Amino acid sequence: MDKISALMDGELDERQARQELARLKQQHELRERWDTYHLISDALRSDALLSANLEHRVSERLAREPTVLAPRRGVVRKITTYALSAAASISAVALVGWVAISISTVSTQPEIARAPTPAVVFPEPAPQMASVPSEGNMNGYLLAHQGFSPSTAIQGVAPYIRSVSVSQPAKNR
Amino acid sequence: MKAVWPVVLLGLSAAHFALADSGEAQDGLTWLRKMAGASNQTNYSGTFVYQHRGLSETSRIVHYANAAGGVFEKLETLDGPAREVIRSNDQVTCYLPSTKTVIIEQRNARLLPALMPERLTGITENYAVKTGPLDRVAGHECQAVTLEPKDNLRYGRHFCVEIRSGLPLRVGTFNEKNEAVESFAFTQLMIGGSFNRDKVKSKYAARSHKWRIDRSALNVSERPADSGWVINNQPAGFKKLMEVRRMVAGRTDSVAQIVLSDGVAAVSVFIESMPKERQGQTLTHQGAVSIYTRPVADHMVTVLGEAPAATVMQIANSLELRTNAAAKQ
Repeated sequence: MDKISALMDGELDERQARQELARLKQQHELRERWDTYHLISDALRSDALLSANLEHRVSERLAREPTVLAPRRGVVRKITTYALSAAASISAVALVGWVAISISTVSTQPEIARAPTPAVVFPEPAPQMASVPSEGNMNGYLLAHQGFSPSTAIQGVAPYIRSVSVSQPAKNR
Repeated sequence: MKAVWPVVLLGLSAAHFALADSGEAQDGLTWLRKMAGASNQTNYSGTFVYQHRGLSETSRIVHYANAAGGVFEKLETLDGPAREVIRSNDQVTCYLPSTKTVIIEQRNARLLPALMPERLTGITENYAVKTGPLDRVAGHECQAVTLEPKDNLRYGRHFCVEIRSGLPLRVGTFNEKNEAVESFAFTQLMIGGSFNRDKVKSKYAARSHKWRIDRSALNVSERPADSGWVINNQPAGFKKLMEVRRMVAGRTDSVAQIVLSDGVAAVSVFIESMPKERQGQTLTHQGAVSIYTRPVADHMVTVLGEAPAATVMQIANSLELRTNAAAKQ
């Protein structure tokens, strides 16, 4: 399947290229794929931001930052579906990367270029801190608090599940 | 004469609407009162699912209450590592077999102010009480009751209250975006049944003698104390319930605990001397409980409760050590 992208990129030797071209002539579906690939490649090339070696850079960054696409899932999924239906695995990555880059150039701070940071690092002044799941080091206090909460008066022992919940890593329990 | 009728009718219908409105709140309060008393009067056993931010856990629960006011309960998790919580009146024991640990927590009942249902009047100041349709949970018919918060300082609650016993079959906590923060729901429930000691005993009771037992919370039980700390910017609707000095599991020194409540949610403030390793501020959560820690001078302050992060942070950030002059009063 990937022989078509290899053919486009001039990576096939003469014999393989001739075989692939012959298949292209015979199979309508392959010709469609060939067209799609060119469409993608044109789309990529028409953007002034994109330079040579883009695929490499995009894949490299994606590998470094696997979660970057998550918040944009809606947009990306639509396009990946299209690209994958064209079975262009390499081009699909490039196209997804292109979408991500064109989005990130709009925002002032390109998310894609940010180094991976653990979520537990908070900014120094904390008017807007992000809450993370407790790691269980507060269980003593949770236990000491629970007895005074109206929720215990209403629900009995059930809310104590919070003090022993499995969302906490076993080492801390 | 003719002209008077429309006015009377209008007046009547207005009165009718006002009655209907307060009637619904009254109805909701009646259900809340019934629910608050239920766990002291009813025996039950069943399976419930606890859900919080995408995670869910299933547990077995057995609950006995006797006429003398005694409560015996057992909570046993069914998913993941085995864990048990046993409550006998005011003593809570957690068995954690995976780490061979037992944690014992003792509560001084005499210090415990009546939380519900005596404080129900305060609830309507902070929440709009609404009744919904009849529903069914775990095969039992129940009445939906919603506590809608009147501001962003607290979470809302959805209850489904079993018609005859008043047991809450489903309890959901939701935030200002109406998103579920946490929920408890029975999937199977048997109401009634007679007391059976074995059903509220831990299966680890015999084996756990050799485990690490943290009974620090037993050594010095709570005693009322003026901690010397004041909350300058107490969130609206929250009142101080008590202030004690006590031991807490996992801490070697005694800590001060101040408990605030708005009648539904409670927030605890813990103040301990700064550990050797100075810590910064952290914001975490466990289900609907927000937990915020912050160093204040040479103390570490931990504020936690079933309230939005902003509420516990407001309390922590307005905490101050009274000057000696003021403390003498």
